[in-house]
Amino acid sequence: MQGTLAMLILRTLQWGPSHGYGIVQALRTQSGEILQLETGSLYPALHRLERRGWVSSDWKQTESNQCARCYSLAVAGRKELRDDLDRWKQMVDVIGRILHGEPEGGEA
Amino acid sequence: MSFWRSWGWWFGHGLFERRKDELDEEIRAHIAMDIQARMERGQSLKEAEAAARLEFGNEGLVRDVTHGQWRWNWLERLTRDLAYAIRVLHRSRGFSISVILTLAVGVGSACAMFTVVDRVLLRSLPYKEPEKLIEIQEAGAKGALQYGAPYLDIHQWSERSPALTQVAFFNYNRVRTYFLEESNGAAHVNAPAVSGNLFATLGVAPSLGRGFVVKKGSGAVDPQDAHAIILSDTVWRTTYNAQDSVLGKTVRVNGESYSVIGVMPRGFSFPLGTELPLVWTPLVLGKTDAAREHNVNPNYQVIARLRPGTDINQANAELKVIQADVAKAYTDPYYREDVSGISVQHYGDTLVTDKTQKALMALLGASALLWLIACVNVTSLMLARATARQREIAVRGALGASRWQIVQQLLLEGLLLSGCGSLCGLGLTVAMLKLFEHGLATQFSIHEPLMPNLPVLAGLLGLTIASALLISVWPAIGAARAQIEPALRQGAPQQGAGRAQHRTRALLVITEIALSLTLLVGCGLLLRTIYALRHVPLGFRTEHVIVAQMTIPSYKFAGRNMTTELYQPIVDKVNHLPGVEAASLLSQAPMDHTVNMEFSLGRASNAADDVRRSTIRAEFRAVGPEMQRVYGFPMVRGRFFNEQDTATSQAVVLVNRAFVKAYYGDERDPGAILGEHLLSLDKQRHAQVVGVFEDERQVSAAAPPRPEVEVCIPQITPETGFYTGAEGVAMDLAVRTEQSPSTILPELREVMRKASPDLADSKFTTMDQIVEDTFGSQRLAADLLEIFGGSALFLCVAGIYGLLAYLVARRTREMGLRIALGAQRSDVMGLVLRQAAWMLSAGLALGLGLAYVTTQGLKTFLFEVKSNDPWTMAAVTVLLLIGGLAASWLPARRAAGVDPMQALRAE
Repeated sequence: MQGTLAMLILRTLQWGPSHGYGIVQALRTQSGEILQLETGSLYPALHRLERRGWVSSDWKQTESNQCARCYSLAVAGRKELRDDLDRWKQMVDVIGRILHGEPEGGEA
Repeated sequence: MSFWRSWGWWFGHGLFERRKDELDEEIRAHIAMDIQARMERGQSLKEAEAAARLEFGNEGLVRDVTHGQWRWNWLERLTRDLAYAIRVLHRSRGFSISVILTLAVGVGSACAMFTVVDRVLLRSLPYKEPEKLIEIQEAGAKGALQYGAPYLDIHQWSERSPALTQVAFFNYNRVRTYFLEESNGAAHVNAPAVSGNLFATLGVAPSLGRGFVVKKGSGAVDPQDAHAIILSDTVWRTTYNAQDSVLGKTVRVNGESYSVIGVMPRGFSFPLGTELPLVWTPLVLGKTDAAREHNVNPNYQVIARLRPGTDINQANAELKVIQADVAKAYTDPYYREDVSGISVQHYGDTLVTDKTQKALMALLGASALLWLIACVNVTSLMLARATARQREIAVRGALGASRWQIVQQLLLEGLLLSGCGSLCGLGLTVAMLKLFEHGLATQFSIHEPLMPNLPVLAGLLGLTIASALLISVWPAIGAARAQIEPALRQGAPQQGAGRAQHRTRALLVITEIALSLTLLVGCGLLLRTIYALRHVPLGFRTEHVIVAQMTIPSYKFAGRNMTTELYQPIVDKVNHLPGVEAASLLSQAPMDHTVNMEFSLGRASNAADDVRRSTIRAEFRAVGPEMQRVYGFPMVRGRFFNEQDTATSQAVVLVNRAFVKAYYGDERDPGAILGEHLLSLDKQRHAQVVGVFEDERQVSAAAPPRPEVEVCIPQITPETGFYTGAEGVAMDLAVRTEQSPSTILPELREVMRKASPDLADSKFTTMDQIVEDTFGSQRLAADLLEIFGGSALFLCVAGIYGLLAYLVARRTREMGLRIALGAQRSDVMGLVLRQAAWMLSAGLALGLGLAYVTTQGLKTFLFEVKSNDPWTMAAVTVLLLIGGLAASWLPARRAAGVDPMQALRAE
């Protein structure tokens, strides 16, 4: 779904700054090894989010002495994530009602 | 080439290389972390590496897609494409140069014409809200416009018409020269007298000092400012060095003293299109302004401003009602009829005649046609090149370029070519405007150098983009549709795609032929017009005649007779110069537009004959007795003036044949008019007609002769009515020489200078030049169309040659095969020539139809030749046919000369 990837990335970054590899791994473990993020989508998405000012990046040293680019959530990104979550909940709600709802008696 | 490449590299590098390096590093880190994680889980280095790379996927693709997200990414792509386009065009220099030059010719001529059109038709007047300015003229019952209106009438309009906020009036004579005295000599200026509210009406205030004080209730200048003067910016700069101290200074114009009170802003001019720089004198009402009497009250031209929210129709309706009332105040029923109507026009519309507008639009159309021909020609070249580049483009496609990217690349190349073409074209525009400076000045009164301005440059940009689209869209579509795989296959001739393309190119060449034919027919018609004009019997000799315009401050001769004191001695001296056959004074040389003196007979009674005669408008000319020997026109009846006609002898006049006809209203023997008393030179002297001379062309070769009255200069004294009328207007001296006029010019100048230092810079011209200038609009149009038509012919021939040469080159193998199988060489030649003949006949047929329709637009230019003249059409058709066949001869010869062995071995 449109914008879902951005939402997932922003959500992941909410726990703290992370690099590309870290985001892939985090999403995989959190989804119970189901979601395997394509790097071909991840990096363009990260750069797009940075261009929009939702995340900012910094070069940092990891524990294993590897130099990596770490992304962190910017203020605008925080707000965007809140909006995204609201929209998502509403969507799930609506779709759920359609899928599980029973035809209500029409008030004739 | 290496320069361009390094430039493009550097540009891209500066912007993006650091970010690219960072991205690479980021990807490397990703993979390294993955490998480490896998090794921690127990995989070997090799296994981990392989798995990590596999999971990461296509590194290059990730990099490319990520690039795509960067902000200035399009700029980088553009730079890269541009650098590539430059390289490609640089590689085929011959092709690029011919395309650029072709486009330059088309764009340059269109741009030059647009500059003229912009200046003449689209310029914004240097006034506030010029669309609110209107000109008001009184008109006769039959619509004949009066030159001016008396103040009393003007006052009525301004008082009673609610649609008008301001009504200003002025007195301006285009041909009059005024002398602004300065320390060394006098500057020639024009000095219209203007009402006090004129500048306010135009909505322009002086940039320095103040305007005239307006007299309450009349709009004229208050008497306190009767000796104030306002300078134009030009005069202020050239004569007074742009000094502020000029305010309050006393200056003398035609001997009268004025005090400078203001300077108008730069670029302001009123009226527009004056040849001389301007100063404005105050128009103060006098006693005679309180009358409405023929030849008593002065008449003024009127310009008014519409009240906001009203339009010209409203003003027209109101003024019509008012004028009906005004006309009642005229006591004489015939004069009343002359002012019974009113004409209201937007001021902007009065500046350009309908004829000029049509002429300009026709020429603009012709230049647009040439541009189209150039584009068609280039498109054909581009198509040929697209075929040659099929493989290159296929390779690009195979390496991953999307169709859209390829189309983009081709469009960019087109834009680059057309941009270069436009730059060259701009140079061509400037050159053409320079070349036609004289014609533009005489035809459209453009007296300052004409340069493309901002709107023109904007137009040029539009034209550049349009050309780019026109020339590259077709090849681009072809490239987008092309199949990659067959194009890549070794040595496969692309027959299928090729044939459709040849048809397209043949169509283009046919279009080109048709358009060129149209232009050439236009050109031919105008050349025939010029020829016809040159061969009109003018009624006088023009060869070896010099005309000198003696502009002299006549106010210096106040109270004296200029003829006897200044002019006659000059004539006598010139007559004695060696090499001079005859010299004569005359108020205006025939066909010279500088002065226009008209004359109508006064009405003796209200008898029908007298009324009709009073409506004759005749050319009026004062001439010396030697005039006939200079111009050599024949007499029909009676005699010409001679030395015995003096101020003391019987006053005499001459008329021409056309006058006699108008006078009697029938085909009577012209001799009947001899002895009639037509007019009076002054109170005592009634002039008698002593001769009738043959009609001559007074205005132009195309205009039929008009009635004319001539008086003898020695008989005119300061007491004569015409004397003051001609004051300030240059007297002409016509000199007939034995040899070429140029040999005698220095001596003539010397005689003038000795007579009066003011005559030192008199203008000299020849009768031939004067006659030539009356062909002006046709000459200008013909010259322009010669250039347009010539270029079109050249492009057309080049187009035919290009296509056939290309076809022959592609079909070399086929020709070889045909010859090997026994075809005669003449058969092969015929094959090519047939193709040419087919294109030519289709193009010519189409072109004749097109020319038949479009040359209707030239009608106003043509003289003694119809717009669908069959001879011109036939001649142009033959010309194009010969040109086309000559162009196809070379390729045909090459086709016939194909060596079958070599052709077959080639592949």
